[in-house]
Amino acid sequence: MLEILLNHYPVLLEGLATTLVVSLSAIALGLVLGVLLAFGLTSRHGLVRWPCGLYRSFWRGTPILLQLLLVYYLLPEVGIEIAPISAAILTLTLNTAAFQSEIFRSGISHIPAGQIEAARMAGISSWQTRRRIIMPQVFRLTLPPLTNEIITILKNSSLISVIAVTELMRVSEQIASRTFQPLETYLAAALLYLAVNLVLALLSAHLERRMTGGLATD
Amino acid sequence: MFDITLLWEVRGLILQGFWNTLWICFTGCLLALSLGLVLAALRLANPRLFGYPVACYVELCRGTPLLILLFLLYYGGPSIGLTLSASVAGVMGLGLYGAGYFAEIYRGGFKSIPKGQLEAARMLGISRWHALTHIQIPQMARLIVPPGTNQLIILVKESALISIISVDDLTKNATTIVNQTFQVIEPYLAVALLYWLMIELIARGGYALEKRLANRQPRPASQQGATPHAHG
Amino acid sequence: MPMADTLSPSSPPRQKSIVEAHGISKQFGDLEVLTDIDFSLAPSEVVCVIGPSGSGKSTLLRCLAFLEPYDHGSVYIDGQLLGYEDRNGKRVRTSEKRVDDVRAPVGMVFQHFHLWPHRTALENVTEALRLVNGLSRQEADTEGMAMLEQVGLSDRAGHFPESLSGGQKQRVAIARALAMKPRVMFFDEPTSALDPELVGEVLDVMKKLAADGMTMVIVTHEMGFAANVANRVIFMDQGRVVESGPPATLFRQPKSERLQQFLNTWRERNID
Repeated sequence: MLEILLNHYPVLLEGLATTLVVSLSAIALGLVLGVLLAFGLTSRHGLVRWPCGLYRSFWRGTPILLQLLLVYYLLPEVGIEIAPISAAILTLTLNTAAFQSEIFRSGISHIPAGQIEAARMAGISSWQTRRRIIMPQVFRLTLPPLTNEIITILKNSSLISVIAVTELMRVSEQIASRTFQPLETYLAAALLYLAVNLVLALLSAHLERRMTGGLATD
Repeated sequence: MFDITLLWEVRGLILQGFWNTLWICFTGCLLALSLGLVLAALRLANPRLFGYPVACYVELCRGTPLLILLFLLYYGGPSIGLTLSASVAGVMGLGLYGAGYFAEIYRGGFKSIPKGQLEAARMLGISRWHALTHIQIPQMARLIVPPGTNQLIILVKESALISIISVDDLTKNATTIVNQTFQVIEPYLAVALLYWLMIELIARGGYALEKRLANRQPRPASQQGATPHAHG
Repeated sequence: MPMADTLSPSSPPRQKSIVEAHGISKQFGDLEVLTDIDFSLAPSEVVCVIGPSGSGKSTLLRCLAFLEPYDHGSVYIDGQLLGYEDRNGKRVRTSEKRVDDVRAPVGMVFQHFHLWPHRTALENVTEALRLVNGLSRQEADTEGMAMLEQVGLSDRAGHFPESLSGGQKQRVAIARALAMKPRVMFFDEPTSALDPELVGEVLDVMKKLAADGMTMVIVTHEMGFAANVANRVIFMDQGRVVESGPPATLFRQPKSERLQQFLNTWRERNID
C-alpha cells in the first residue's frame, strides 16, 4: 500500500484534487440552492412549498448513481452537450441541495418564533430577518449535519468515475489495472479519502468551538 | 415522450434487476443490522478492550466511500484468496459498511437512557437482566427506529453502486436497457420510481413501528391538544 | 375559518387615541379566545391588562400588534387600519410592508425576551436602527449606547444574551424596542419569566418610562405595579373585557363577581 502511494503519488494527488474541486463546488453551489429551497419549504404559500417538497423528495429518494446517469445521458438528448465533469458537478449540486434544504429547514424551524416576531415588531422586513436574524443562527446550528453532508458528498463523488471523470477513484482503478495490485491500490485510495474526511471533521469541530454568541433557546 | 410500451417490452430485465436489488438489499441490511449489534454489544460490554477498535471501524465506514469497499472485496479479495461472486461481494459490502453506522445508532440509543432509571430498578431489587430486557431495550427500540430507518434507506440507495461491480441490479439493467433501446428517460425514470417505492415502504414501515413502540409506552400526555398555536 | 367581515362602517377613529380597536374577535380553531373587544388608548396613558391565564389578555395584545391576525373588527394605529384594507368593498389582508408601516409607532417587549442570541446586547439594540432606519454603524452604536444607558446596562454592551441574567435580558429587550422611537410600548407579561428577585429592576425601568410620559399597554400579573403606575386597568376573563377603570376603583370596589374572585385568590396567595 505504501509502495503504491510512493510510486504513484503525483497521479493520486491529481485525482484527489479533482475529487475536491468537484465536491466542494457542488457543496458551495448546493448551499445557495439549498438555502433558497429551505425558504421555499418554509414559505407560507402552498404553491411555493409544494414543488420544493417534490424536488426534495425526488433527489433524496433515489440513488445518486441513477441521478448521475439520468443527468449525463438525458442532457445530450435534449440538445445540451455537457462535459462529464460538469455533469458530475451538476448532479452532485442538485442532490446535495435537496439534502441541505432539509438540514436548513429543520434549522429554521428551531429558531424560536418569538425572535422573528421581535424582528418584525422592530420593522425589520422578512427578507432582512431571514438574512440577518435567522440564517446566521441556522448556519451555526446546522454545522454538524452540514459537515456530515460535505463528507457524504465527498464519498459519493467517487461514483462519478463511472462517467469517466478522472478523480481519485478513477485514478485508482487505472493504477490497479496497471500494477495488478487492486487490494493495495484501493486501500491507498481509502486512506486518502479517510484523511480528507478526518481533516474536515476536525475543522468543523474547531469551528464549532470557536463560535461566540451561543444559541440560547429562550 | 414517455413511452410506456417500451417498458412493457423490457419488463423481464426490470423485474430481474428489481429481484436482485431486493434480495441483495435484504440480506445486506440484515447483515448490517446484526453485525452492528455485535459491534455495539462488544463495545458496551468491554469498552477498554473493544472501545478503540470498534470506534476505528466506525470511522472507517464513515470516512471512506462504499465503492472502495466494494472494489476491495471484489477486485482485491482474490489476492488474499477471497474470491467472491459479484452479488456476494455486494451483500458483504453493504453489510460491512452498514454495520459501522448501525453500531453507532445502537450505542446512541443505549447511552440516551438516563442512568438514574437503572439505579431505581436496582434499588427495587430488579435484576440486571430484567432491567436490560424490560427497561432498557424497550426504550432503546423507540429511539433507534427513526435513525435506523434512515440508515436502511441510505443502504438501499447505496446498493445501486453494486451495478458498478457488474451485479445485474436495477441500475445495471436500466443502463442495459438504455444501451439497447437508445431511450434514456423511460428506463431510468421507471427504475427511479421503483427505488422510490422501496424507500417509501421502508419509511412508512419505520414510522408505523415507531408509533407502535410509542403506544406501548405511554409518554407524558401530548401537549399538542392543549396549545393549538404554539408561538412562544 | 371565520370570514373577515367588511370594513366597519362606523365612525372613523377619533384622532385623539393612538391605538383604537372596535369589536375585535379571534378564534383558534373552535376556541373563541377574544369576543367583541373595544379598546382605545390616549397619548401618555398607561393601561394594565389583568386577568387569569387563558383569559385572552396576551392574545389581545398580539392582535393589537397584528402578530395574530384578528378575525373580525378593526384595529387602528394613529388612525390607520392595521392589517387589512378595503378593496372593492371587500376586506383583504395588506402586504407585510404595509403592516410594518402602520405599526411602526408600536414597540413590543415579550415575556421570553426573544433577544437574538447571535448578537451582543448592543447589536440587538442597533440591528433595526441599521437595517430599517439605515443608520451607519457609528451612528447606530452611539444611539444604541444611549438606549442601554437608559436601562442601566451600558456596561453590558458587548455581552451576548447567554451571559446576561433574565432581568438584564429584558432590559436589553426594552432598549431594543425604545431605539426605534416608538410612541406606544406594548409589554406582554414582561416579568412573568423572571426570578422574583429580578422583577424589580425591570419594573423600575418601566416606571421611569411611564413617568417620562410614554404611552404603554402592559399585560401583567403584577397587581402592585398596576395599582401604582396604571391610569386604567382592564380586567379580562374568557376572552371578554369584564371591567375597566382607574386602579383605585377597580381594586377597591370590584363590581363583578369574577373580579372579586380573582382579587381574592391573588390576595390569599400573596399574604403568606
